[in-house]
Amino acid sequence: MGMLVWIMIGLAIWHFTIFLPDHYWGGIVGAFIAAMFGAAIFGLIVNGFSVPGNDDVSILTAAEGIPGALIALGLCYYEGLRRERKAGWSPVDA
Amino acid sequence: MNERRRTGLILLLVLGLLAASAVVIATKDTKLGLDLEGGVELVYQGEPTPQVPRVTAEAVDRAVEIIRDRVDQLGVGEPEIQRAGSNQISVGLPSVQDIERAKAQVGTPAQLYFYDWEENVLGPDGRFVSPQLASQDPTATGISQAGGDASRGQTLLDAVRLASRQRASTDSRGGSREGSAYYAFDRDGRYLAGPEKSERDLISAIDSRATSLPTGTQVFEVPQGWVVLQAVTRGAGERIETDDPAARFYVLRDNVALSGNDIKDPAQGFNQSQQPDVEFRFTNRGKDAFQRVTREISQRGQGLALPGTTSATVAQHFAVALDGKLISVASIDPQRLPDGIDGENGAIIEGGFTIQSAQDLANLLKLGALPIGLELISQSQVSATLGKQALDEGLVAGIVGLALVALFLVAFYRILGVIATVALLIYGVYFFALIKLVPITMTLPGIAGTILTIGVAADANIVIFERVKEEVRAGRSVPAAISVGYRKGLTAIIDANVVTVMVAFILFMLATAGVKGFAFTLGVGTLVSLFTAVLATQAILTTMGKTRLLARPSALGAGGEGHRWNADFMGLSRWFFSLSGIILLICALAIGSKGINFGIDFTSGTRITTNLVQPADEGDLRATLESVGASDAKIQRVQNEALGPNVVQISTEQLEPTEVQELRTALERDFGGVTNFSSSSVGPTFGETIANNAIVAIIASLFVISAYIALRFQWRFAVPVLIAVAHDILIVSGIYALTGREVTASTVAALLTVLGYSLYDTIIVFDRIRENMPRMPRAAFSQIVNRSMSEVLTRSLVTSLSTGIPILALMVFGGETLQDFAFALLVGVLSGAYSSVFIAGPVLWHWKEREQVYTTRRRRIKAENGGVVPPYALVAGGAPEDVEPERKVRRRGRLTAPDDPERAVAADEFEKMKRDIDVDDSAAAVTRPPRRARTATASPPPPPAPPARDADGRAPDEPENDGMVNEPRRPAPPRRRRHGRPR
Repeated sequence: MGMLVWIMIGLAIWHFTIFLPDHYWGGIVGAFIAAMFGAAIFGLIVNGFSVPGNDDVSILTAAEGIPGALIALGLCYYEGLRRERKAGWSPVDA
Repeated sequence: MNERRRTGLILLLVLGLLAASAVVIATKDTKLGLDLEGGVELVYQGEPTPQVPRVTAEAVDRAVEIIRDRVDQLGVGEPEIQRAGSNQISVGLPSVQDIERAKAQVGTPAQLYFYDWEENVLGPDGRFVSPQLASQDPTATGISQAGGDASRGQTLLDAVRLASRQRASTDSRGGSREGSAYYAFDRDGRYLAGPEKSERDLISAIDSRATSLPTGTQVFEVPQGWVVLQAVTRGAGERIETDDPAARFYVLRDNVALSGNDIKDPAQGFNQSQQPDVEFRFTNRGKDAFQRVTREISQRGQGLALPGTTSATVAQHFAVALDGKLISVASIDPQRLPDGIDGENGAIIEGGFTIQSAQDLANLLKLGALPIGLELISQSQVSATLGKQALDEGLVAGIVGLALVALFLVAFYRILGVIATVALLIYGVYFFALIKLVPITMTLPGIAGTILTIGVAADANIVIFERVKEEVRAGRSVPAAISVGYRKGLTAIIDANVVTVMVAFILFMLATAGVKGFAFTLGVGTLVSLFTAVLATQAILTTMGKTRLLARPSALGAGGEGHRWNADFMGLSRWFFSLSGIILLICALAIGSKGINFGIDFTSGTRITTNLVQPADEGDLRATLESVGASDAKIQRVQNEALGPNVVQISTEQLEPTEVQELRTALERDFGGVTNFSSSSVGPTFGETIANNAIVAIIASLFVISAYIALRFQWRFAVPVLIAVAHDILIVSGIYALTGREVTASTVAALLTVLGYSLYDTIIVFDRIRENMPRMPRAAFSQIVNRSMSEVLTRSLVTSLSTGIPILALMVFGGETLQDFAFALLVGVLSGAYSSVFIAGPVLWHWKEREQVYTTRRRRIKAENGGVVPPYALVAGGAPEDVEPERKVRRRGRLTAPDDPERAVAADEFEKMKRDIDVDDSAAAVTRPPRRARTATASPPPPPAPPARDADGRAPDEPENDGMVNEPRRPAPPRRRRHGRPR
């Protein structure tokens, strides 16, 4: 159940990436993958690589997904920008 | 074949099938599932045995055959026995109410084993009996002569403790069991569970929800090569349960001499004292083995014969065990049978039988042992009244749903709506006939699937009718609009229906029994609806197209300009995204704080719904429940007039069938009787299987459908579809957590249906984007998506309504079970319609816009419009950009002859040629202004000077390509006129 909560949090946060210019590595889909995996992996790390069951989840479990999603989105954005700068071309600024 | 003949033929086919359906409906019975008819359902899971170490499909099929034969012996009418998944067997026994007897008859493994008694049985001191007989050890002699009865046996705890101290055998081939057997006792030595295959199974057997054994539990491991068998019962028909303190046991070395496979022709007979017994013969292999073993036993007895000993004291024994219990320990007189017993004459098992129990055993042995072990993971009993009520509610919901959809269609599409309603009725008749003909067992989820297909069938018409209306509004004549509308709509309908059928097929292959029925009806219903909604309505409309009835556009609901959506959907998408994000956030927090309320299908337990003749308050009820050990029960009052005035629902931890029976007896005793008693017990494995199957079904569906979309559209179209589906499934899950509704096996089916519907809806939207891409060769992708959204939004809203109406009927009229199902569907359908337009579309836009072709277009459009991209691509005069794409017209040979020999072409060919070159000579078209959509092509702007080429050799504002194919085209090779052949 914990995994479902983290993925939902990742997906929820991803929805707000639309407010930023699309510099994400892999575009909006790259951001989607980053948010989901980031939330899930961070949740796993925090819980010592175990997934809380239906009776073990709490508001805190949901909160555990937030930093992971944000960190992964930040990394995805940074990598996208880095690649655009390297290529000297951005699909957003074109 | 010309169009008139084709239409006539289809109408004839429709009428012929209607007549055939009427005959089938009149002559065949409808097969109802247990939830609609009442009866007992048992679900077993196959377990490996030493003989069959792996549960294969063949072994499960063989077990199904044996169970079918056993049920036939019971005389149950129309039983339903089928394999569910890879290793489960579902047994439905309509009209049977005695769950205990059904369980005993159906799932008994009937594993019969023969043992050399003295050679293998252990005394309480842990020494074999046989070597002690020579020294006339009193304990050993007592065990030998007691013939396996309770007088010399030990308590289960002592027997298990003794067995657990023995050394394991390394070879399981000569035994009845592979691996260890585990038993659990509480700190006071009372039996808790066993034998089980592992400690984990022990935990589940004690408490399905527990993760560890209760404090103070003693666990014993009986190693491979040793068995603990319950003593023989002497009273006719006497049955002592394992946990009965009076039960006694023996420990034997698991050295099997013969098994049930070595006997044949078992039959009930009578012995010399006219007591019932079971007589049988041996197979060829059995004969030799029996003779050999009995000779060894006899010779051992002869060795004990000393002067002064009687035949009784030297008699040796041969034990027969069935499913862990000794049923007979027969003696062999070594003096009378010095060479053992000739297997040619067969043998008898006697002692402790009634005629009925001897017949039952003979039948079980005759039909053979089950090739695999069977673990009962779910059992349910539905009263006939409850079943009938569910059926009535389902039918009412279906009829109301159909009527409301028909009303809605007629109100919205006028004459077209009437035709769609006729098609829906034809669909209903075909489908009902098909249900009877196959026959499809109708269950509650099946009824839900059928009602949902009403929505799907209506949607196929809606897609086409919206196209027809568009064409009429664009200036085509009604016949031309009908023809073009069907042609354009068909691709989307086929793509969407293929996806639905794929989902149904995957569900059918992977899901559990209840969901299987739903998947089957959904799949078959979709295929039938494709025929009625597309072919039948087209034939009817084409026939009516030239009549006065359809002469005016208003007859089609296409009067006036119609409503056009002009919103900047892509510009607004950030707010829609925010809305979804907030909903998901709330849902995630709800799941985090409240968890999901899983029903007994997942958590395991027993649920009993019953009426009570006398009214009872909760305290009285609880006292009665506690008296039978159900102290943790949840009691809920249910308003159900069909079942009686005092209906209660009792949920408790999993109860054994005997405990359910005890509870029923106690309720009858304390509250004046019960008349409608239903129970359902689910083991922990069942829920796990449902959840695992659902996950596999979802992953398999997404994988297959992604491949299909990538093939039919582009691979970039597949990803937004998946995101939209994930969005919908997570929202449904979250809403369940938020509302605290119980998640059952039906909810899983509903969730998978939402998946199918969401895909269906998104494909309809994407089909329009795919169509508009080549029509708008100079537009930004946001403009293409905006226009596509504005064109399909009406259809999406109408579809959501036409699908939502039958679902609402399900919620209102469908009874408790269908209400839960309908709730999940309603949330999913609303979310699916929303995500198709406001999530999948914008994601596709963002992703496609990164392609160079669209980046270039956007750059050009920005430069032309002062740095902004207008929401819609317009040409001079404010008309939308629209270029008729080049259609691949297959040149065909002449198929028809002119109707009039003096004319060069047939009338149908002439009509087709007009359509191909887009000529409309109808009176309506002549009197109307030129079509809006054609203004761009009617007055193209003057050609600009050749622009500078970019790195790809393409001008910045050149119509790059249609966005579908990015590969450069190869120049066409010069046409070879002669092809190397003389002309």
